[in-house]
Amino acid sequence: MTTTASTTGAATPTAARWLFAPLPVARVAWLRTLVYLFVPLDVLVTTPWVARHDTAPASLYRPLQLDRMLGLPAPTTVVVHVVEIALLAASLAAATGRLPRLLGSAVLVLYLEWMLIAFSWGKVDHDRFAFLVALAVLPTAGRATRRDLGTSEAAGFALRVTGLAVVATYLLSVVAKARFGGGVLHWLDSAVFVRAVLRRGTALGTPLLDHTWALHAGQYVLVALELASPLLLVLRGRALWLLVGGYVAFHLMTWASIGIVFLPHLVCLLALLPLERLSGGTRPLGWRQRAGGGAAGELAAVSGNGGVDAGGQPRQRRRQQQRTR
Amino acid sequence: MLTGLTATGRRLRVTLLLLASVLLLAGTVRGQDDAFPFGPFRMYATADAPNGSVLSTRLEAVTVDGAVVRVGEGDIGMRRAEYEGQLPSLSASALGDLARVHARRRPDARAWRIVRLVRDAYALHGGRPTGAMTSTVLLTWTAP
Repeated sequence: MTTTASTTGAATPTAARWLFAPLPVARVAWLRTLVYLFVPLDVLVTTPWVARHDTAPASLYRPLQLDRMLGLPAPTTVVVHVVEIALLAASLAAATGRLPRLLGSAVLVLYLEWMLIAFSWGKVDHDRFAFLVALAVLPTAGRATRRDLGTSEAAGFALRVTGLAVVATYLLSVVAKARFGGGVLHWLDSAVFVRAVLRRGTALGTPLLDHTWALHAGQYVLVALELASPLLLVLRGRALWLLVGGYVAFHLMTWASIGIVFLPHLVCLLALLPLERLSGGTRPLGWRQRAGGGAAGELAAVSGNGGVDAGGQPRQRRRQQQRTR
Repeated sequence: MLTGLTATGRRLRVTLLLLASVLLLAGTVRGQDDAFPFGPFRMYATADAPNGSVLSTRLEAVTVDGAVVRVGEGDIGMRRAEYEGQLPSLSASALGDLARVHARRRPDARAWRIVRLVRDAYALHGGRPTGAMTSTVLLTWTAP
């Protein structure tokens, strides 16, 4: 069994070994399909308000720093719809898996422009960061098919960075509460969830105003979930599924009570799961060397990737070594 | 055997990752929303006083035949949080711009003669709504 020279050597920092420890190529192929197919859903169904900015008055245009750096004026009706159509076409083309770098890069640029159109009228949402990161790193994984039995460092990097972005969104939300909420403890005992329900309460959420203790407790649950998010990067198996289920449940409860759901962010949570199992006949492939430890053994220890049988033998023949840039 | 990256490929990825991380941390600690995508994650990060008031802003319009209607997102192409976020600098003339947007988006609807920006304040006590609510008109635009 051989491995790439770049993965060997005691000088390689642990963080770099973790970042580049190989993960299944099929997983990144599945994530790519799901992410790129989510784009049309996002544009046309779940956030149709972005396209409505085609008529928003230029007098209320509040350009973001990126708009100002690029000298972008308030988008006209034509610009909004040209970007919309180009984004839909590029994302559908990218979902096929062809020309992953070219089409993936096109989707990234167009989606970022779509977000500038979305958030340049005085309100910025925070459910897009991980999704933008996923769009940025997915092209770097290169060619990948959903029935690929191999693993790759490029896939490992793309998937782990997407996972890091998910965790950063949660963890740095706690920092924002400390900064804008007068400290986390002050925020915890504030009436912020009561405000949310008073302003946006749904038929399911509004009755909670008669049980404000539940909303107060929800604030503690939210911060606990946000602080626990690094566990998403280290847990495996059933524990990981349970934790991901906990986050999904919280987001769905938020949606049911105030109509806000972090759908793009939830799509990125999938990067943490063994999506390669969706390929059916192809078993998830691990990267764990049975004997000898060494660099390969170290990688297996940090990759968090299963895919070996009970005796520690790889389930499938590993892919022939390639070197990609 | 496995698919590996070249040393250059690794260095490039790590460099871009570090750059993005620094921008995100700087935006979280010092930036504002306009630093998107590297701004602070501040949705619902503020703390409302349990004995204060919850403020909610809305637009209402009076049509040419005198009916008072609530203004929705689809009427003006903007979300409530968007014009609410611009409150300190919002002017009555901007409401006139929104009336013109409405005429463009809803050509078959009755035109607006007056547009009002109204702020509702819900009183809280001990973190619970008391049921008391007061409304204040912040801005009014009247068609010339």
